[in-house]
Amino acid sequence: MLKLLRKVVQTGQVTLPYPFAPVEVAPDFRGKPVYDFSRCLGCSACARACPPQAITVEWSGQQGVATWSINYGRCIFCGRCEEVCPTGAIRLSEEFELAAARAEDLVVRAELQMTRCSGCGEAFAPGRELEYVQASLQAVRGTVGPVLAERLRLCPRCRRGAAARSRRAGLPGGGGSR
Amino acid sequence: MSQTDVRTPEDLRAAEERLAAARERLKKVIRRSVYVYRIDCGGCNGCEIEIYAAFSPLFDPERLGIKIVATPRHADILVYTGPMTRPMRLPALRAYRAAPDPKIVVAYGACGCSGGIFHDSYGVWGGTQSLFPVDVFIPGCPPTPAATVYGMALALDLLHQKIRGETHTEEGTPAQVAPRYPEVSPALAVRIDREARRLCGYREGRRIARQYLEFVREGDPLAVDRKVKELVKAARDPRLAEVYLTLHQIYMNAGAPGGAEAAEGRS
Ligand code: SF4
Ligand code: SF4
Ligand code: SF4
Repeated sequence: MLKLLRKVVQTGQVTLPYPFAPVEVAPDFRGKPVYDFSRCLGCSACARACPPQAITVEWSGQQGVATWSINYGRCIFCGRCEEVCPTGAIRLSEEFELAAARAEDLVVRAELQMTRCSGCGEAFAPGRELEYVQASLQAVRGTVGPVLAERLRLCPRCRRGAAARSRRAGLPGGGGSR
Repeated sequence: MSQTDVRTPEDLRAAEERLAAARERLKKVIRRSVYVYRIDCGGCNGCEIEIYAAFSPLFDPERLGIKIVATPRHADILVYTGPMTRPMRLPALRAYRAAPDPKIVVAYGACGCSGGIFHDSYGVWGGTQSLFPVDVFIPGCPPTPAATVYGMALALDLLHQKIRGETHTEEGTPAQVAPRYPEVSPALAVRIDREARRLCGYREGRRIARQYLEFVREGDPLAVDRKVKELVKAARDPRLAEVYLTLHQIYMNAGAPGGAEAAEGRS
């Protein structure tokens, strides 16, 4: 009994005051993936990487809207989305207090406008993604020529057609990569 | 979201009222600690381990009046962990029936909330919600002990909910997204970023790449060279020094300052 008491006194109190005081988390703790809509391109890299499909991106070609959504109730906090995101629009934070009374509160959605193909008129890519690609090409090459700029506004099918036609006509810009 | 997650506004209102009523009755009727019974419906057991970690002296939810019991007949809170698998749906229903009213149903972990990583498995029906109404969702895979304590406190109305659903639309936000490393050639940034991540993993690698590219952004090649040498000298960890030197090699080979031409020439 005395031995036990001594042990108790030696150890002191181990119970953390949480939830009445914040609790410290380990460095690089993988908590809630926080979404920054202003930096998202709608490129869907995160949706492809996400193992449980907590993140989904649905493209509606007719309405011209790409709907990005994350369900925190399905997320396994693996960090793949953060790893693949080209702009840092999604980052794992230290937030872990995610419990909710309604499933709807666990969902974040975003709607991105898509650009329509200048050939066939079908919406084929989020506008922000195209802008981003064009800006990156501009920075790398110094200039984006008219042929390339035009090709960027074409959907993949029309782009293939355009490349084939210009090659047959012996015009410059025949190769798809130019 | 799967079909089962979609609920109409009437359902939602009914669910909220039910939870409020259950809390009220719990407070008035039982006037003692609440008893928790947990049912594993087919998860990986990670959630069980965390629940028992949460009930260890470190977090000690018993000071909030939350106790674990061994039978649903004594339970006020039913915690369902794991995805709802076919073999476990009847035991899950039996536990639900056996628990006396008023009761609070908690869906625990990513699996309990929505099926989680197993959501599209052949034997899985979905989350706990696919069988009966859920009052509180505790996401996580598994939720940490602190998240568990928070969720339990939320179920008992001791704390407020923090997370809210959000919907963003593009009106009012600028269409142009700035690159991750502004003012550095994208070709060079990609190569540095990739190499750093290959060597150190995505999180540490990104941190190192960001620091390195900050030098590139600020200074001319000589200044970059000097700063990197200083860093290498100061680095306690020889591996870190090695990483910095490897990144520096890429920068030098790519033809400073922009590094654009050479980097592009080779890619
Ligand atoms: S952390 Fe993992 S599971 Fe969660 S959204 Fe990102 S990729 Fe998906
Ligand atoms: S990877 Fe990043 S930029 Fe692309 S859709 Fe996901 S969050 Fe948006
Ligand atoms: S939520 Fe994660 S830890 Fe919990 S049972 Fe499912 S897979 Fe395992």
